Amino acid sequence: MASTSSSGLTFKLHPLVIVNISDHYTRVKSQSQSPAAVEGGGDGETSTPHLPSPPRVFGCVIGVQRGRTVEIFNSFELLYDPITHSLDRPFLEKKQELYKKVFPNFYILGWYSTGSDAQESDMVIHKALMDINESPVYVLLNPSVNPAQKDLPVTIYESELHVIDGTPQLIFGQASYTIETVEAERISVDHVAHLKPSDGGSAATQLAAHLTGIHSAIKMLNSRIRVLHHYLLAMQKGDIPCENSLLRQVSSLLRRLPAIESQKFQDDFLMEYNDTLLISYLAMFTNCSSTMNELVDKFNIAYDRHSRRGGRTAFI
Amino acid sequence: MNLNMNSVESLVAQIQGLSGNIAELNQLRTYLKHSDDLLRAESPRLAPVLNELDPSVHSLGYLYILDACTSALVPKEQAKEFVLHIARFINVCAVEQIRLAPEKFISVCKRFKEHVLLLEDPIRGVAPLLTALRKLQMSSEQLTTLHPEFLLLCLLSKCYKTGLSILEDDIFEVDQPRDLFLYCYYGGLICIGQKQFRKALELLHNVVTAPMSIISAIAVEAYKKHILVSLIHLGQFSTGLPKYTSSAAQRNLKNFSQPYLELVNCYTTGNISDLEACVQSNKEKFETDNNLGLVKQVVSSLYKRNIQRLTQTYLTLSLQDIADSVHLNGPKEAEMHVLQMIQEGDIYATINQKDGMVRFLEDPEQYNSCEMIEHIDSSIQRIMMLSKKLTGMNEMMSCDPAYLGKAGRERQRFDFDDFDTVPTKFNI
Repeated sequence: MASTSSSGLTFKLHPLVIVNISDHYTRVKSQSQSPAAVEGGGDGETSTPHLPSPPRVFGCVIGVQRGRTVEIFNSFELLYDPITHSLDRPFLEKKQELYKKVFPNFYILGWYSTGSDAQESDMVIHKALMDINESPVYVLLNPSVNPAQKDLPVTIYESELHVIDGTPQLIFGQASYTIETVEAERISVDHVAHLKPSDGGSAATQLAAHLTGIHSAIKMLNSRIRVLHHYLLAMQKGDIPCENSLLRQVSSLLRRLPAIESQKFQDDFLMEYNDTLLISYLAMFTNCSSTMNELVDKFNIAYDRHSRRGGRTAFI
Repeated sequence: MNLNMNSVESLVAQIQGLSGNIAELNQLRTYLKHSDDLLRAESPRLAPVLNELDPSVHSLGYLYILDACTSALVPKEQAKEFVLHIARFINVCAVEQIRLAPEKFISVCKRFKEHVLLLEDPIRGVAPLLTALRKLQMSSEQLTTLHPEFLLLCLLSKCYKTGLSILEDDIFEVDQPRDLFLYCYYGGLICIGQKQFRKALELLHNVVTAPMSIISAIAVEAYKKHILVSLIHLGQFSTGLPKYTSSAAQRNLKNFSQPYLELVNCYTTGNISDLEACVQSNKEKFETDNNLGLVKQVVSSLYKRNIQRLTQTYLTLSLQDIADSVHLNGPKEAEMHVLQMIQEGDIYATINQKDGMVRFLEDPEQYNSCEMIEHIDSSIQRIMMLSKKLTGMNEMMSCDPAYLGKAGRERQRFDFDDFDTVPTKFNI
């Protein structure tokens, strides 16, 4: 059912939308599970907890469409009526009015839901929204946690009219998207990503966490630079055709470093570097001396017949 | 007689046959062990047998026969021949084969050393013993019995530089404690000869603090030299020994080195004339210990110490004043001393020849160069490796039954309210 769409629209998704959807889903899931947990505890005889299938949440996404670019800024929740398989229309319109007052530029661009894949029943909701927006988008969030997965579990679907078996039908097509952030969003996402351990952590764990973050950042930077370097080398050898726009971008990047280049900076920088190295050296020395001290004590106890011991000595 | 020669022939045939792979070599080794007495009985007649075997292929057999040949006392002419044989053997022998019989190899090399000394030509033995040493070592961190022999030959033939190359390796495994004592003592002597006092101090310190249940003569001699080198290099000597010294050493060493401790006392006063008087009074004792050369170096180092002490008080000083305070003969001598110290890096100063003033400077190292980064980085790597080894040794020590037995016994003396879930007594 899902194929890549060919509409040529570029989609930009803001992190706020993803956070909203996941928050909605988590809230609903935790609220619906708590009575089940209480029952299980009182029973005492249930062998395995009966996990209900994960609930689906629904909502609307709003944003701006400029030419061929569709930018999804925000989202809000909607009530879903499982009997009529449709969204609560009056509620949607009321919300739309309220949001229009605060964000006059934003239009309803489409709707969102959670699940692992787009389903047939989604097309019904999709068609229902088509009177507000002639080509709505469908944002799908996959709430199952997959630690092996590296990408975001968010897919954007568009509806396309295809002729299948003689009848024109609307089917969903996957569209690619990029993440676009406003400064405030970047800060908050960064903050959430670097949650400190709940007990506050000792200085050592905080330092370790900080250094690990720096280490992974440097590793990523290193690998990306290596990719660029490889690419430039291949271009130089002639394996790949020269792409001038890319070359211009690389050259502008290189011109941005180094920030300072003077003898005084070099001297100060190296001096500080040496200071840090000396401090680590001192720390290792202390560590080694402490191990050595323990070793010597143990050796003296084990092998030296008349070693001096603090306190009462053996009466032989 | 003939019967014995026949057995020798069959032995040779066995050696030639069984020198293929490792399984055959093990078989050959057991066979050779049984035939050891036979070989010893035949030792005078075994020399021509050596020519039938190829030392690089039949190393194990060749080794056994060599050992049997040289076990009897040999006259001087035959010694020359044997020296040649053994040197050639050491150069071409196969490493895996000789490692199957290390004691034989060591005894052959020891006899080689004796022959070389008999011929009064120790320098002939230096290179072969170096090769032998390297072949016998399992890793560069292992100390073999050949190390002290090699260093002795280096000392006697005055090939100090070759000896130094061996001393660069860090030692972590020792086969025999006596080897360690001799190795460190000879090593200290070689370093003194090369004027590398820091390394000499380290090696002599190792001899003094090595574990020993009763005091040994090597340790006493090393302690005397240790005092002198410490005075030359550091300008001071602390009579307290570190806590990892064996108690035997701690109690007895001082009794054997009285004149040296007097020397230390005179040195710390900083007075040249007192020091010289002390040296004169104990001259015979220093001579019998062969330490008079070192003692003279101690006296000259006192001048250096005094000049260094001046840098802490003055920023500039005239050459005449230096000569006066250090009791030198004149400004010319003072200039010579200061120049030498600047060259050796003991002091940072500039001499203004016009008005004869010396300006004392600070250490110009700013620690802002890339070479310094590399230097510190390599030190950090070394200490990381050392730290790993130390933790390994610490863990091994904690599992050592001797330690656990005694540690368990100690626990009984804690207070009764020091409640431990660990058992208070280890019955091992």
